[in-house]
Formats: sequence, structure tokens, C-alpha cells
Amino acid sequence: MTEPFTIETTAPPSPDDVAVDTAIDVAVDAAVVARQLTKRYGALIAVNQLDLTVPRGSIFGLIGPNGAGKSTTFAIIASLLRPTSGGITVMGADPSSKPRTVRRRMGYMPDNLGVYDNLRVDEYIEFFAASYGIPRTEWPALVDGLLELVDLNVKRSAMVNSLSRGMKQRLSLARALVHDPELLILDEPASGLDPRARVELRELLRSLNAMGKTIIISSHILAELEEMCSDVAIMEAGRLLAAGPPRQILERLGGSRSVRVRFEDATTESFTVADDAEQSMLLRRLVVDDGRNVVEFVEESGGLEQLFMSITEGIVQ
Amino acid sequence: MSVQINPVLGRELRERMRTGRAFVVVGVFLGMLTLTVYLVYQGSDTSGIIEIDLSRQTRLGRDLFEWVLFVMLLLVLFFVPGLGAGSIAGERERQTLLPLQVTLLRPRSILLGKVLASMSFLMLLIVASLPIMVVAYLLGGIRLIDGAKGLGIIALIALLLTTMIVALSTLTKRVQTATLAAYGFSAVLCLIGPIAYFTMAVADGSRGDDVQNPPAVLLAMNPLAIVADATSGQNVSEGGNPLRETRKALFEAKSNNDDSWIAWFPADDFAADFRIIDGERTGMPAWLVGSLMLGVLASLLSVVAIRRLRTPAESER
Repeated sequence: MTEPFTIETTAPPSPDDVAVDTAIDVAVDAAVVARQLTKRYGALIAVNQLDLTVPRGSIFGLIGPNGAGKSTTFAIIASLLRPTSGGITVMGADPSSKPRTVRRRMGYMPDNLGVYDNLRVDEYIEFFAASYGIPRTEWPALVDGLLELVDLNVKRSAMVNSLSRGMKQRLSLARALVHDPELLILDEPASGLDPRARVELRELLRSLNAMGKTIIISSHILAELEEMCSDVAIMEAGRLLAAGPPRQILERLGGSRSVRVRFEDATTESFTVADDAEQSMLLRRLVVDDGRNVVEFVEESGGLEQLFMSITEGIVQ
Repeated sequence: MSVQINPVLGRELRERMRTGRAFVVVGVFLGMLTLTVYLVYQGSDTSGIIEIDLSRQTRLGRDLFEWVLFVMLLLVLFFVPGLGAGSIAGERERQTLLPLQVTLLRPRSILLGKVLASMSFLMLLIVASLPIMVVAYLLGGIRLIDGAKGLGIIALIALLLTTMIVALSTLTKRVQTATLAAYGFSAVLCLIGPIAYFTMAVADGSRGDDVQNPPAVLLAMNPLAIVADATSGQNVSEGGNPLRETRKALFEAKSNNDDSWIAWFPADDFAADFRIIDGERTGMPAWLVGSLMLGVLASLLSVVAIRRLRTPAESER
């Protein structure tokens, strides 16, 4: 019993499909632009007048406590939810009116690990390749490439239900990459992973970013995002509190940072500086002016955590 | 142009046939039909006789055929809700629906894949029962066309009911709820017509008014009535079985009112054949009326289901 494909994939998008929503002033190098984006569920405002710009080629971290509106924002970007008001473009198209255009260029990995247990790993990827209308002749190379990328080659013939959580996460990532999207939306991809799996995932995301993909990611592990993200946005109770490169946000907010210095005589001292310039001056003063032998000069970690704690109020809605 | 199988259908069939449940269902289905043949044969006066009595043998063949059809219908009514209820609700519960919805598959393709998957399995059951049907054919009393009509109408009812149950599955989030709803719906579908008919008959009787008998069309949507009407043909006057008794009741209902546009085949017409319009009983065959009513209901529910599956949605489902 066969049914002709009812999906259109091999044909390039029509001009109508790729028409840019002129209601939003789209920056050429922006993957996602949201203006006054609002989503209401009755009296609850899940996303409240969100203004957001995700630069192309960035790893963009969306940070916020539970209930901040991150997953709702992701669902709107992924063309699953229609906003109540405001505008959004994803890779130049409005996900509400041109969802298929957006889906061709976007891969989405939701925060829950839904996989089909009674399929083999390669069959799982083939199923999604078919769902994106990729011709059958391309499947073998596609499966090989993706499994190698997410390092699941040895599990190719294993049943999905036999995989560990970390492996399932990587398989989910492979699924989101099956149609080679330019934009990846990853909702809490590291949740529940052990430290090794987290490191592996981080490395994988860096590789994908190096391949030119824009990645939007949310996580509760701020240190991890700090290491990885070129830009972040902090949300709370549906509102955007701050956005931009983490260091810039810190400086804009007038936050200071702590620098720990270890000297040759095994003594350690901590200094507080306001910005990069002051940090550079401190190093010069210690080494050149004071003539001290500096062995280690480290900016204390906790920047993003400190930033998060300083601008969020713990509001739960 | 290459034609590929619906991805959802392909995956469903693969997953379904990998579980032991599929073989249990096939085993129970065939076991029940075999038991029916055995019990009918044992209960007939032909059992154990050596000499050939064509008329008794023919009657036994017809009896076997009608009993097998009846039990097959009951099994279909029992298995369809179980097989189809979890179709979409199961995807929601396993959290696999969102990844599917962000692919390029259209909602109608997802729904069609689910319906065809359930239907394919039911067709497997029906085809597997052919050797059992052959027993009745070998004994005589039925022709090949009778067997084809019987299995065809069972397959049609299975298709319509499967469509309705899968469509209903889009309305719930849990498989358990969906299963309860599916069995409840099937029960209502089977009973609503007869209950309405007999309630009206009692009400009419209480008023002492015999002119306004309830319309026989109320009974047309009942699956047993559809099978009974569609498989009426060369009949025998002796012996009873549920299909024959149903036919008698339907013909009586028809003769007690004036809705002449609907034609029931008589229960005791030896010469009656497969005819859309009979010279004496003009009108639309009742099985066709009933099938059309079920078809309209299935279509309406499919429209609702497609709307439920469509994204971007107004709210998370």
C-alpha cells in the first residue's frame, strides 16, 4: 500500500516562500529577529514583548529560570506556536505564515527526549530523512555522515531503546541535522547528561558552529553556556532582561570582576577590576611597575552566573 | 518519478511488526474464528454424518460463513479501538509528535500514515482468515462473490472505524484516555441507532400510535446491520444466526414505516442477489446508506484531527 509523497522538498523554495516579512526590520546577518513578541495563555503572559536578535553564525544562549518563557520562545521560532502579537522572522521568513520555509532551514531539538524505541538507529534517521523528503538514494551517505558526526557509528544497528541517555541526546541532535539546517534550536540539550557526555556535546556544538550553523541553546548550566556562547539573552517571567555578548552585558550593567593573581613566591592576591582596560592596567602595574613575578593571572569564573543572579529576581509565574 | 511509501506508514508497520503484540493479535483473531467454525460445525446436525446430504451441507456452509463474518465483525470492533487509539495520543505521550510536526510532513500525511498503518494490520488479519472462510465455501451455500462481499464490507467498516478512532486520538494526550474514549465511541456508534430506534418505538407504542413508526434508517449506521444487509443473498429459512436475525429485524423495521428511499434486503428471499436497486424494492441499499453515514462521520472527524495536528498552533497541545 503506497501513497505518493505529499511533501515538497526537492524543489527549491518559491519566491513567495522566501519573501521577507517587511513588518520587521530584518538585519541581513540576523538568523532570528523578534520584535515585541508576545504569547499569552489566558491571563498568563508566557512571553512578554520580547525584542531579540540572534546573529547568524553565533552560538546564542537563552538563559532563564523555569517558567521564564524560553521553551515557548523556542516553540514560536520553531513554527510550532503562533504568537499572540508581535513579529518574528526566522532566517528571513515568518514562521507563522511560512512555516515550511522555516522548517527547511531550521532544526529543532525539544527539551524532552522523544524517540521511537522499536527502531534501529539508522532506521530512525532514515525515517526523518523521508519525512523531510530527502530522496532514498541519499540516505546511506546521510546516515553515515550524521552517525560519524555525532559519534554513533558503532551503534548504527542498535535499537534506539538500548542507547544511553547521552547517546539518545546525540541521536536527537542527528535527527535535527538530517536536512542540513542553517539554524539549530536546542532546548536544554545537556539536561540529564553525565559530565563526559556534556563535554562531548559541547565539542559537537562547537564543531557545528564552525561549520557555519547558527545555534540557539538553552541550559541551566550557566558555566557551560559561558564557555560556549558568543551571545546570551536572559529572560525572566516572559521578559527579556538583557541580551548581547556576556562581557558586554556585564560592562553595561557596571558589574565588576575579580582577578586572582598568583606570584612566584606562592602568594595569591585577588583584585577587583571594572573592565578589560583596567584588567590590562593591573597586569602592567604588577609586572612592570612593581616588578613582581606573576605566575598566574586568572579572571575568576562566575561571570555569567554573577550576571544572572544580579539581574534576575527569582520571579516565578 | 519515484513514489515512496508514506514515511509514517513505513515506520508504523516496522515498529508494529517488531512487537510480540502483533503476533498475539493475529493468533487471537485466527483462534477465535477457528473456534467459531469448530463450534458451529459441532452444533450442526451434519456433524458426524457419513452420507452426503447436499441441502444440509449447503445450509451448514452458509451458517459457517455468517457466523464467521459475525465473529470477525465483533473482533474488528474490538481490535480497531485498541490498535488505533494510541496512534496520535501515543506520539504525544512519548513526546515524539513535536519532532514530527517540525518536519515537512503535512498533518494529513501524518493522519493518513496512521490510518493506513492500522488498516494494513487489519487487512493482514482479514487476509489471514481466508483459509477459514474457504471451509464454508467448500461446503457450499455461498459463492465466491458472497465471500468477497462479506470480507469487503468488513474491510470497509474497519477502514471507516479506524479513521474515526485515529482522528479521535488527536484529541487526547494520554493513551489510556484515548483508549477509553475509543472504546466508548465504538460502543456508542454501535448502540446509538438501535437505542434511538427502540426508544422511539416504545414511545410510539405508549401513545398508541402505529402510524408514526420510527424510521428504519436509524438502524442503518449500525455495523452489524451494514454487514447483515450487504451479505444477504441466497438464504436459508432454517436455523438462526445473528446476521440472519438482524436481517429479519431490519426488514420488519422497514416494512413498518414508509421511508421508501432505503431498501433492506429481505431475510427470507432465496433468490435475492447482489443488487443495488431491486425491481420491487427500489431505493438505496441500507448497507450503502449506513456506510455513507459512517463515511461522513469519519470525514468530519478527520477534518477536526487535521486541524488539531496543524502547526503553528494557538496553544501547546
